Amino acid sequence: METGYYDTDELITALATPWGESALAAVRTSGNGCIEAASVCFSRSEAIAAAESGTIQYALMCDPATGEAVDEVTAAVYRAPSGYTGQDSVEIFCHGSLPGIQRILEILHAAGFRDARPGEFTLRAFINGKLDLTRAEAVQELVTAKSRKAHSLALGRLSGNLFREIDAVKQQLVELLSAVEVQLDYAEDEIEELVAIPADHLRLLQQTAARLAETYRTGRLYAEGARVVLAGRTNSGKSSLFNLFLKEDRSIVSEIHGTTRDYIESWITVRGVPIRLFDTAGYRFAEDVIEAEGIRRSEKIAGAADLVLYLIDGSRGLAAGEKKDLQKTFKNIPTLLIWNKTDISHEAPPAGSIAVSAVSGAGFADLEKAIITRLAGKDISQETDSMIDSLRQKELLEQAAEYLAAAADSIDERMPLDITAPEIAGAIDALGEITGEITSADILDKIFSGFCVGK
Amino acid sequence: MEYDAIVVGGGHAGIEASLALSRLQFSTLLITQSLDAIGRLSCNPAIGGLSKGNIVREIDALGGQMGHLIDHTMIQFRILNQRRGPAVQAPRAQADKFAYSQLAKYVVESEKNLSIFQDTVVDILLDSSGHTAAGVITERGHHIRSRVVVLTTGTFMEGRIFIGAYESPSGRLGEPAAIGLGRALREKGFQVGRMKTGTPARVRKSSLDFTRMEEQPGDSVMQPFSFTEDVISRPSSPCWITHTNNVTHAVIRENIGTSPLFSGKISGIGPRYCPSIEDKVVKFPDRDRHQIFVEPEGLNTEEMYLNGISSSLPESVQEKFIHSVPGLEHAEIMRPGYAVEYDYLDPTQLYPSLETKRISGLFTAGQTNGTSGYEEAAGQGLLAGINAARKLQNRDPLILSRAEAYIGVLVDDLVTKGTEEPYRMFTSRAEYRLNLRHDTADQRLTPKGFEIGLCKRERLDRLSEKLRKCDEIRELLRKHAADGKNWLQNLKNPEISITDAFGQIPDLTVYDTEVLRHVELDIKYAGYIDRQNRQVSRFSRMERIKIPIDYDYSAIEGISNESKEKLERIRPLSAGQASRISGVRNSDIAVLMVLLGRGRG
Repeated sequence: METGYYDTDELITALATPWGESALAAVRTSGNGCIEAASVCFSRSEAIAAAESGTIQYALMCDPATGEAVDEVTAAVYRAPSGYTGQDSVEIFCHGSLPGIQRILEILHAAGFRDARPGEFTLRAFINGKLDLTRAEAVQELVTAKSRKAHSLALGRLSGNLFREIDAVKQQLVELLSAVEVQLDYAEDEIEELVAIPADHLRLLQQTAARLAETYRTGRLYAEGARVVLAGRTNSGKSSLFNLFLKEDRSIVSEIHGTTRDYIESWITVRGVPIRLFDTAGYRFAEDVIEAEGIRRSEKIAGAADLVLYLIDGSRGLAAGEKKDLQKTFKNIPTLLIWNKTDISHEAPPAGSIAVSAVSGAGFADLEKAIITRLAGKDISQETDSMIDSLRQKELLEQAAEYLAAAADSIDERMPLDITAPEIAGAIDALGEITGEITSADILDKIFSGFCVGK
Repeated sequence: MEYDAIVVGGGHAGIEASLALSRLQFSTLLITQSLDAIGRLSCNPAIGGLSKGNIVREIDALGGQMGHLIDHTMIQFRILNQRRGPAVQAPRAQADKFAYSQLAKYVVESEKNLSIFQDTVVDILLDSSGHTAAGVITERGHHIRSRVVVLTTGTFMEGRIFIGAYESPSGRLGEPAAIGLGRALREKGFQVGRMKTGTPARVRKSSLDFTRMEEQPGDSVMQPFSFTEDVISRPSSPCWITHTNNVTHAVIRENIGTSPLFSGKISGIGPRYCPSIEDKVVKFPDRDRHQIFVEPEGLNTEEMYLNGISSSLPESVQEKFIHSVPGLEHAEIMRPGYAVEYDYLDPTQLYPSLETKRISGLFTAGQTNGTSGYEEAAGQGLLAGINAARKLQNRDPLILSRAEAYIGVLVDDLVTKGTEEPYRMFTSRAEYRLNLRHDTADQRLTPKGFEIGLCKRERLDRLSEKLRKCDEIRELLRKHAADGKNWLQNLKNPEISITDAFGQIPDLTVYDTEVLRHVELDIKYAGYIDRQNRQVSRFSRMERIKIPIDYDYSAIEGISNESKEKLERIRPLSAGQASRISGVRNSDIAVLMVLLGRGRG
């Protein structure tokens, strides 16, 4: 049973602006202890935690786990009874890039916030007396309309295969749980068939749930795409490769180093994944001021990339100090080494690099595969449509996996059955939120149809 | 004749209801069809069991009677499911049926505000408004007035018994049904349905061969159900176990067409959890045997109960299949098994107080509400009696939550979801069962029983005494260490029991087993109990958001018609109850809460 909807103290968060690229976006948070909980996600934690109600604070949004700064933001802090919901809340104004917003939401989730359900902020606002009845009535329409739409959206999102996979896990758990519950509902002498609950089976289902949660990355990749940046010294063939990707001549290809002074970008599709491809200025000691500015900008672009394709001119090999520079510049960015110009190169490509010829197109298929594998974290060329693209589904699957791990552990620790049972039930509830609810009456149905019970 | 309250029916629900009303100082009349049948155990001779044992202890903790009755009439005691975990252990006792019923009759007879009268109620009297109960009309033409009426009709309301082709208007074999009341309630607009249950044959002890059966003894120590008793010292009788076989099943299969269950004569829905032997044979064709428990019906009787083979097959067929079972080859059947079909009221017509929505002052309990089982009946009877009394006192009804009592789960399920088959309690129906241990019933409910007026001051004192002992034990465990850990920590290990500490902490041995066990479970499962408590606190918030009883759902814009219709019919008293109505959407509940404008607390 879902009671969280009405729990007006829980920490919730949601993007308050439309989900899309924009200059600025607003992320709202609310709940008991909200300011304290959110403060750890900012560079100036103490200032935020101590901020007066109704003030705006400048800060960097940071991942508390790594300390990595994610975005420059301003945070509006409200203390109860101020603010929209009338309870402690922090509204975060950040840059409107989808990956950036996603990171901010993930950081907030890690800090204990959950996604708000449709109309939840407004419901709290009403309950805390922040809205009068006329406004509340308008809100009520919103609540129903939104949730119905959200519901159909959520269902629409679940592909047939994914639904079947999650449902199959759930059905197996229902079987297992009914085998546990029958032993709890009837005395030891009343049922003859005793079913041992195999911890292995639970672990297997746990892995399935965890694997499905993992597909979130792939699902998101297909839904939102990725930023890929071409980098490398001047004349390494970045623009030629860019053109090869575009299969149309949009940037000037010349033999003179440093032709692409700023950067150009285009949306392309690589094996179904939308990719925003950037061609940057080359790296070279620049005397030309304009070019130096271009290089500075391209470094900035590369810094925001999901993947950097670093091109090496195979006809000249790695320049002195290039490897060192490379490691320094792209320290924290996933990078693929591309050994270009294989058509005129006489050297063997270095280990781990992808050999291509941007002119002849040789090796291009390998390059495409490598890009996707790197972005998805695995080879997804064989995967069909079993992947999730909603953070909430991912979290529910992870929750189910956690419950199953706890259930399996409790069996290994030889805890009694009535301790194991609620863990399995927790996993079923979590999966049920994705595919539809299972009630205790369903479990009893399974018991009565599967076991000969009763004196 | 005029009373404050009339209770119709002298079964387990009627006993609790009439005692509660009279003990709360209301002049009460208990009307029963037979004085000799008060407190009769119509089916199996046992009280308690998984989750049912918890209900008995809850009844006792609130000041009800059932725990005392079984404590003084038990002839075997067991704690079930010791190894399956703390939440699902429960006491069960075999009862001396005749002693139980006799004691029950004597207890009600001894109550000073309680009159007892033998007659059959055929209709409910209403006041001039037509919506308020004002008494009853009996078969012999008495019009007896009262301000509240509690109906506990068991299997008697339009009851009908079946054995093969034999049919008779009876509530139990040989006892006439109450004809007329079911029709009268239908005419008053109630939704009345039919349910079915069954009972097995009783056989003569001296005709059985116990050498061919397995003996099942009770626990060596009998423990009381009532929190007011310390020790039980009564004789203990064993039960026996035998099994059906392929011959038994062949006999049943050959004659299946003669069973009224399969010939279509019985329309009522029977309990899936307690199927007749013909149901079992048909439904589980691959099983080559089914268990039979041979249980004594009392100390001073030859009658033995054949638990597991309830049947409505013709008597000649019953005899044939019973004789195919080892140990029962020469069994002399003293009473045949039979099926009984009876009227029940769809319990969604009730408020959680067990008062009907249609007629103010009319309460119903037990099988009348579609349940099955002595304990379920008694729990409802007690609640209906208390709430009828509170109505007379102009006080708010007692409503137990799902998180504080199995009785709460029982009533909430009934009035919120209704039931399609005779409803029996199961531990799996309770979401928060770790909090509903039988040994904590006094902590959960005795303060309420005291507030209501059914528990005396001594009970509260006993409870404080118990809690003080628990603290002492905990302190002893904390002060002593083994292997670098104190005993509070050691007990977290599932392999270690509190008795392992006796050697090192001899002071522990002075405490009762039950108190020691209580502390042990609290310590061992503290982490899980904490987690459950967090879930309970979330659950409780929704329960605290009240909905007025006369709330006008038709005026709400923006919720689905389906939800509206269901809310209108169930009339939930809290947002929590509303959220449990099947088919009502979460978003509709959210709208409802917005309109209620509540939840600030």
